[in-house]
Amino acid sequence: MNFKEFIKDWRVILLIVLVVGSIGAISTYGISQGLDLRGGSTIQIHLAEPVDASTMSTVTAVLDKRLNAFGVTDVTVRASGNQDVIVQIAGVKPEDVANIVGTPGKFEAKIDNQTVLVGSDITTVKPYTVTGNNWEVPFTVSSAGANKFAQIAQGKAGTPVDMYLDGNLISSPAVGADLANGVPSTDVQVSGTNQTKTAAEQEAKSLQVVLQSGALPVSVSIVGVNAVSAELGSQFKNGALIAGILALLVIAVIVFIRYRTPVLVIPIIITSLAELVLILGVASVIHWTIDLPAIAGILAAIGTGVDDQIIITDEVLKKGVATKRTATALKFKINNAFFIIFASAATLIAAMLPLAYVGITRGVTGIGVLSGFAFTTIIGILIGIFLTRPVYAKFIELLLGKDRKEEKATVRDTRTSKPSKKGKKKKGKKGRKKT
Amino acid sequence: MSMTDKILDSYKPLIIIPVIITLIALALFATNGLQQGIDLKGGSVAVLQLQQPVTTDQMTNIVQNATGVQGITVTSSSANQMTLEIPGQAADVVTLSNAIAGTATIQSFESVGPLLSSKALSQVYFALAFAFLFMSITVFIIFRNLVPSLAVIAAALCDIIIAVGGMSLFGIPLSVATVGALLMLIGYSVDTDILLTTRVLKRREGSINERALDAMKTGFTMAAAAIGSMVALYLSVRFLMPYAQILEQIAAVLIIGLIADVLATWLMNLGILRWYMEGRR
Repeated sequence: MNFKEFIKDWRVILLIVLVVGSIGAISTYGISQGLDLRGGSTIQIHLAEPVDASTMSTVTAVLDKRLNAFGVTDVTVRASGNQDVIVQIAGVKPEDVANIVGTPGKFEAKIDNQTVLVGSDITTVKPYTVTGNNWEVPFTVSSAGANKFAQIAQGKAGTPVDMYLDGNLISSPAVGADLANGVPSTDVQVSGTNQTKTAAEQEAKSLQVVLQSGALPVSVSIVGVNAVSAELGSQFKNGALIAGILALLVIAVIVFIRYRTPVLVIPIIITSLAELVLILGVASVIHWTIDLPAIAGILAAIGTGVDDQIIITDEVLKKGVATKRTATALKFKINNAFFIIFASAATLIAAMLPLAYVGITRGVTGIGVLSGFAFTTIIGILIGIFLTRPVYAKFIELLLGKDRKEEKATVRDTRTSKPSKKGKKKKGKKGRKKT
Repeated sequence: MSMTDKILDSYKPLIIIPVIITLIALALFATNGLQQGIDLKGGSVAVLQLQQPVTTDQMTNIVQNATGVQGITVTSSSANQMTLEIPGQAADVVTLSNAIAGTATIQSFESVGPLLSSKALSQVYFALAFAFLFMSITVFIIFRNLVPSLAVIAAALCDIIIAVGGMSLFGIPLSVATVGALLMLIGYSVDTDILLTTRVLKRREGSINERALDAMKTGFTMAAAAIGSMVALYLSVRFLMPYAQILEQIAAVLIIGLIADVLATWLMNLGILRWYMEGRR
């Protein structure tokens, strides 16, 4: 075939440039991987009622502060709509997740079942101290809170102060003698003892975090957790890679059985790999996160790509009326193939749009995760129909140019012949190219 | 007249085969119902890395005692890994991790509360319905011809119903992932239907039988490539990473649907097209 002409085609050049560019982009920017591939957790928190934007920002700020207090660094807290918050934490083991955000609620302190303090009374929380097995958490409360506390705590030294989070008792330190004298004090501290120094430290730390986050203006609950360990994430990645390679091998074998020639197997595999690189390149440039649903989307796009290449190949190899001038006939056949390709791409994109829409309105939890699948499929299909498939068609077109001379003699006679078992035999019979 | 021509000319009774299978699938779905994945019905799934050999009964007992939840099931287990499904309210990951301490560690944990799941289910139906509607509109725009368009849409509907029937039969749950697979099926299904309609309806050369056989050859190659790659995915998940059940379920749904598509396209869609062309003549 005329390789020189192939390499000079503008779309071929564009494809090569973009593939090289994609590889460059991937190696420069990298590909941001979803938490399901690198290990981490996604937690969906639901608020008791819809809130306005400023309340929502208080909620996310408080949650963020709490997570940071626990020493979690790689964390994002963001609002999803006006009633949901999504927390994403990288590199934390699944069992640690609930310890960190497991009690995201509303703070209340009670003495003898009377509420003495609520979350919004607490103004600042100071660093805790641990001496031996004893711990102390000092904090300041508003003067209103201090008055209320002083009133109820008067004469009740030694009575437990029950601290609740979302109605669950989390700590019951006793009222200190200095707070039971009826004089309001804005400087308060909670202290306690635990069996070991580590345990004491832990208790102090968790109480501190609870006090800090007590200022949540609305009660919240965890409605969804999705956590994957880093080991499992990398197993997923390797598994997807192996499955992808196997799938491609199976396709290669089937294409070979059908056409009996490596000349067609190789370009189909190369085209599929080029599509993969281009999709990942786009993902790298626009910082699109590749997670498991996105991998499924890539597989779907490449799968339809293989289908389309088979359509192009068969359309061009197929026998037909030989009276038309061959160069136009070939163009005509390729146009036929592209009618089918554009039509099926349009229907698939139409089918994917509702999913993409769900993702925009819903965020990336629940069924919203499928929007990643939908977007990746759509990107893959667009790359395919505008770039890789035309190049493949050009390749097939030029491939026929070579065979034409050898089989020129058999040009007519196709109308009555039985369908050939092997499409390849018929190839080139009328595939004349211009020039 | 050759054998293939004879078969191709007796297309009318053949239309009934995919229709019957679709009706059986509908009946299966109606009587047997569909299981729901935890992302739609609420509950938790945990993948555990075992630290010592433990039977599935031992494990369900341990977790049942700790959480007080009945009906815990082990959905997959291998020498060192086990996948647990805990129904009901979103389970507490701390309780679970304490309960299995020393026996196993948690590799992955997914929990969905009832609030989230009730919203998700309605959105699943919404997404499926609109995907189907948009697909149908696009098909009408492409062909601008009532009967052929309806044939394409009917074939896609058969594929989805048969795939859902298969899910009911093999206990594959309806989940966010399998909904994705059903939508992917729409894409794979219309590919071959559009190929067939274009080749048979718009082309002039050759007899109808020749055009149909030509399209069939291409369609079978496409189906073989798609089914083959999904079987590869199914098997590699089955043997290499049994905990990635989601990928296994996607592959299984697509395999059933793609096989259904071969029947729906080449028996039903082709039959309707031929009937239509005969009537027009």
